[in-house]
Amino acid sequence: MPRLLKEIVWLIRKDLLLEWRQRYALNGLLLYVSATIMVVYMSVLQLKPATWMAMLWIILLFVSVNAIAKSFLQESAARQLYYYTLVQAEAVILSKILYNTVLLLVISLLAVLAYSIVLGNPVQHKGLFFWAIVLGAVSFSNTFTLVASIAAKAGSNQSMLMPILSFPIIIPIIALLLSISTASITGKDSNFNNNLQVLLTINIILPALSYILFPYLWRE
Amino acid sequence: MLWNSLLWILWQTSNTPEMADALRQSGKIYVVVAVILVIFAGIIFYLFRIENQLKKYERHSQHLN
Amino acid sequence: MVKLMQQSWWKLLAIFLLCYTVVGGLLFAVPRLNILNETIRNLYYHVPMWFGMIILFTVSLVYSILYLYRGKLSDDLMAVETANVGLLLGVLGLLTGMIWANYTWGSPWNGDPKQNMSAIALLIYFAYSILRASIPDPTKRARISAVYNIFAFFSMIPLLFVVPRLTDSLHPSNGGNNGFVVYDLDNQMRLVFYPAVMGFTLLGLWISSLRIRLRLIFDPNYNHSSL
Repeated sequence: MPRLLKEIVWLIRKDLLLEWRQRYALNGLLLYVSATIMVVYMSVLQLKPATWMAMLWIILLFVSVNAIAKSFLQESAARQLYYYTLVQAEAVILSKILYNTVLLLVISLLAVLAYSIVLGNPVQHKGLFFWAIVLGAVSFSNTFTLVASIAAKAGSNQSMLMPILSFPIIIPIIALLLSISTASITGKDSNFNNNLQVLLTINIILPALSYILFPYLWRE
Repeated sequence: MLWNSLLWILWQTSNTPEMADALRQSGKIYVVVAVILVIFAGIIFYLFRIENQLKKYERHSQHLN
Repeated sequence: MVKLMQQSWWKLLAIFLLCYTVVGGLLFAVPRLNILNETIRNLYYHVPMWFGMIILFTVSLVYSILYLYRGKLSDDLMAVETANVGLLLGVLGLLTGMIWANYTWGSPWNGDPKQNMSAIALLIYFAYSILRASIPDPTKRARISAVYNIFAFFSMIPLLFVVPRLTDSLHPSNGGNNGFVVYDLDNQMRLVFYPAVMGFTLLGLWISSLRIRLRLIFDPNYNHSSL
């Protein structure tokens, strides 16, 4: 286990360094967020609270898919082969999930900030809303990271495969996130605890599955 | 929608919901059953023909191996 | 496995059960309910499509796990062909559901959770087909699509437990709509419903077994593998 942990730390540092060196990817994502928010603003100008929340999650969904899609494409096949000789497959997927969680957290919070400035913020319970956004970043990262590696391994048209493969999987999770985060406007309803439990369960099952399944993708 | 709710009100006022009792009494429902069974039999017959052709090929490919 | 696929007893059982479903489903007495009236008999034909779909997708999942476990290409063939027939049943279930909904609920798509859930399941398995089509190498295709199949199947868990409860369902046993709960409890209807589910599932397995055996002989990717 210490070896796994050491490898994860090493890989995350490597990813952070890469991200910092090629800042254009991160800047590109931030530009993507701002442009999308402007598109929403220009097309609706004013939103009802329920629609406000739905639009926010759609923006976050698209940004997350784009952010994670590149996580296995940044590096060449040759370099990936080199990592293969150095570290375990389990360390690769866990480090990617953790790294993507951090990346999505930063981008989501910035997105929420920009979105609130441009379109206002009807949220009543700020704390609950914050945790819903955090849970969203974690859920997206847990779901999309393995799908991104599947799309990357599939070869030719990854950019098209990523949304096709990930959107059907994320729909139920988005529905849960939406109902949980809407509670920050309207207050908790009777389903709240139940939905939260299922979302947390899914966030245990999906990383566990990624951990088990990724070695089969990595092996070649 | 309007038509449905209108009918619904009509049925509410009568004692029991309306069913196709006349169709049953006249025995014409058996015509429907017969038609569906014939179509079903045709499909099954066709499936079994594929099945038999496949068996022929399976025997053939076993000889080769 | 090929031996079992070649045997005819379970195919004859499927035929018997389906004939019984046609005759019993049209002739036996059903509860007299408002709005539904005679369309309640659709329960024998529409709902088994969903049960069949879920059973076939589960079989597909099992063979995907088996493929990763022991790497036999024939397991991949089983997984893809059961998923294909599952899709067929799912599409039929969706279409028949839309026809029925149009007559009893007023429009083909009502945002009903069970309807949405089935649509998502279909999307996932269509994505599975597209993923397979985009990978030319057979063993690579088998491995990657098996991983996706397993991951996607388990991501549907919230659909089964929660999403149906997010909003009131028009389907039975989800609250609201008292009139619909009646047929849930009607024993007379169970007498036809369960055989119908079994009959349609066996028919689905039969069709997929035909395609599996066909490809074992003629598909160059599989004809050297044995079951």
